[in-house]
Amino acid sequence: MKVVTWILRILSTAAFIGMCYLVYTIMDVNGVWGWAAPYEFVVTVFRLLSLFFFFLTMILMYGLSSMFMGAQGADQIAVNIYNTLVLRMWYMQPYGVDSPIVSVGEVFSRFGQDFAVILDILWNNTFLFLYFLCAGIGVALFLQSIYRLEHKFVGGAFVAIQAILLIAAAQSYIMATVSYTLPDFPNGFPLDFVAFLGGQVQIVALVSFAYLEISYQMIYSNSVGKPVEDREETLKKQLLALRQATRKQDAIEKGEKVSTTGMSRSSGAIAFSFLREAIERKVIGSQSALENLDAVADVRRLQIFVDELLSADPNARDELTAKAASPSSSYVIGSTVLGSVIRFTSVVAVSFILMSPLVLLSAMDLPPGIANSVELVQPEIVLLFLVPIVLLFPFAASVIGWITGREETEEIKLTKEEKEELKKKKKEFEQRKKDAAKARKARETARKERKKEEEADEWDKALEEIYRG
Amino acid sequence: MITQRGFLVMFSGVLLLASGFSFVNWYLTVIGVYLLVGLVVTLPLFAMTANIAGIEVERDVDKTQVFSGDFLRVKVTIHNRSRRHFDFIEVHDAYPETWILAIGENFMASRIEPGRSITFSYILQARMRGRYELGPTNVIMRDRLGFHYYTRSLVAPTEVLVYPTWKDVRRLEALGKQRQLGLMFGSHRTKIVGMGTEFAGFREYVPGDPFRLIDWKSSARRGEMVVKQFEMEKNVQIVCMVDTSGSMGNGYPENTKLEYAIRAAVMLTHMGLEKNDLVGTCVFSDGVHSYVPPGTLQTHMYDVLETLAMAEPKGWSNFEAAIDYVVQRTRKRTVFFWLTDLEESPAPLLNAMKTLVANGHRAFVISPFGPWFEAPVGQFGPVERVLSEAVSEELWERRGKISRALARFGIPVVNVGPEDFLPTIIRMYEQAKQKGVGLV
Repeated sequence: MKVVTWILRILSTAAFIGMCYLVYTIMDVNGVWGWAAPYEFVVTVFRLLSLFFFFLTMILMYGLSSMFMGAQGADQIAVNIYNTLVLRMWYMQPYGVDSPIVSVGEVFSRFGQDFAVILDILWNNTFLFLYFLCAGIGVALFLQSIYRLEHKFVGGAFVAIQAILLIAAAQSYIMATVSYTLPDFPNGFPLDFVAFLGGQVQIVALVSFAYLEISYQMIYSNSVGKPVEDREETLKKQLLALRQATRKQDAIEKGEKVSTTGMSRSSGAIAFSFLREAIERKVIGSQSALENLDAVADVRRLQIFVDELLSADPNARDELTAKAASPSSSYVIGSTVLGSVIRFTSVVAVSFILMSPLVLLSAMDLPPGIANSVELVQPEIVLLFLVPIVLLFPFAASVIGWITGREETEEIKLTKEEKEELKKKKKEFEQRKKDAAKARKARETARKERKKEEEADEWDKALEEIYRG
Repeated sequence: MITQRGFLVMFSGVLLLASGFSFVNWYLTVIGVYLLVGLVVTLPLFAMTANIAGIEVERDVDKTQVFSGDFLRVKVTIHNRSRRHFDFIEVHDAYPETWILAIGENFMASRIEPGRSITFSYILQARMRGRYELGPTNVIMRDRLGFHYYTRSLVAPTEVLVYPTWKDVRRLEALGKQRQLGLMFGSHRTKIVGMGTEFAGFREYVPGDPFRLIDWKSSARRGEMVVKQFEMEKNVQIVCMVDTSGSMGNGYPENTKLEYAIRAAVMLTHMGLEKNDLVGTCVFSDGVHSYVPPGTLQTHMYDVLETLAMAEPKGWSNFEAAIDYVVQRTRKRTVFFWLTDLEESPAPLLNAMKTLVANGHRAFVISPFGPWFEAPVGQFGPVERVLSEAVSEELWERRGKISRALARFGIPVVNVGPEDFLPTIIRMYEQAKQKGVGLV
């Protein structure tokens, strides 16, 4: 299964690169991907923060000077402090004041102007920064998905790359002019299936969808074969750890010196809960711990049990590893290809029908008011068929499930005698409970009454009675 | 059923679709539609093929009766009886929470072809006595992409009876081996001098002694008449009264007063059977839950073990009911070992003891002292420590009174903690044997 997973890994990588390349080329008109964009964005953010800091510093200095010097001298002192300390030591000067100031008022007057300029730069850089951010996240998640083979990373990588186009669409919608053209059907959704298939929209969408499909297939092939491999690996580690633990105990009993850390970590005993518990009980590794005979005996008896099992039953090892459960690679490859082709074809075909309602609407002979409506060429028209048809699939599945009686759970069928016996036992138990409660209540009442009569301890009283008797 | 990742795909699809509508872009609409359609398009097909009713699960265990602490192999076989393959099937076989998974895993995930079977096994350690059920087996079936699943719980429990631990007996046997080597002194069989066939010694002739007992050679040597003495080995009859009232369940899990009492009962039964004594067991609380009359059959030990395995700490101690029940069924003189924490009112206990003595029986009370079984005082804060010490003192004082009261009936009370519970029962048993109480 490892081979199949590796083939699908390569295909997934190719699909991801293809998707990224298409998105890159779409956006790379007139050098949108300016590589300095992230740097500029970060610098701008810091400039903005610096501006705020500078403004606050000045207010603070002015306020403190006023407290000690009065309003007259404060202005001059604040200016002097600024000129001697801040201006010399402040490396970045985003506020536009790069020469000594003569009045604090200059600071306040420039602040408003500079703030607007920086915010404007920030706004321009934000979209570029977001593209880079999404691309970075997408690549990082893709690498994780290749290594960890988890759905969340695949989904994350897909969404991150698609988010670039989503943000670009938002930017082009907000801003009047942008330097790139997103894949689109400018004249509405094509009625011709071939034109639909050949368009740039379809190519990008298919490659993106292919990435998702192949990656999920890759995860499937891994998850279907890996548990068996993991079981085998785990069993090997467990048996090795167990054997070493037993040997170690023997050595301790003989009074030989043994290393205390090497065994558990190297042989995976840490991952072996049974031995881990034994280690926690400080059984393995120290002479004094041998006092805990139970745990020592448990480990040894487990070793004997496993040895006997493996020698008595030739299939025991295969059953412990579930070797027979490993599916054949050829079947997985075949079913993967076939399944993907069916899904691809059906998704594209069904989507085309859903998104081009005009084909169906033309057959309905609608009144001209509706047939020529502008809404029919808007993307929202997709909803007309999308919602009912998409909901039709789960509905059909639940009908099939209901027919096949899938959700029923098996129940133990009791014989008449067993049912009666169960009933009888329950009744007896209830009765016994009632009797016990009654008796307890009676005793409690009696005890209370006795206590009322005299405060002496009931055992003292009992003793007195005995001695009297 | 849609999985979590299926919902994420749906969310992404709706997001892209809504963005397509908002920003008037067909690409986003198309990719959104692809995701939504891709999520559901194969659902009917999956529902049709994934008929989970075609899956059958079998569970085999090596043995259905084990001792606490023993290991058990569980083998699970999954059969695909349908004519379709299952792309991804997960099988979880549940086992009791208190047990330990020693080797292997109780989980399997794979695909399964039509008519094929998958077998996996794992080794468990049964930890606590009682009746347990292995299972159910949960089968989860997913589609290839993991968007949808069907789940089914196959109710196929396998009942396993876990007897109380046998480790004490093993230890005792190990000590027995040492005893054989002369390293330890053990208990001796109760002997009755005067009958039997085993030679015991000589004594002076007393008029009335049968002539056949006179040893003429020794008489000639000594110059006075001596007779031979013979002895007969006699066995005692014991009934172990195990109190399973709610208070006996106090203490650390697996180390409660009741667990120790059960271990003591197991050991006492084993020792008795080893020496051909008759040992019975009565498990009681507010009534008699079960009673195994004294016996020496081969299956006797298992009857006792089964009885003790099912004991649960609940209710209150009805000593009178218990002793009435047992005395009615016990004709011979018997020595009773009460394993109780004596946390009930004095009157019923004293009445029970009166009945016992009046019927010619003898008794020992081995009583676990509550505070010794609970958290060590060192683990408490100052306030809890003071409180616990005060409670302990009060309880101890009460114990003193109980001992004095029962001493009037010639019944010794021994207060025990976890460390000396088992040695005490061995000692008391040996004392009973040496003194010959409860001879039958």
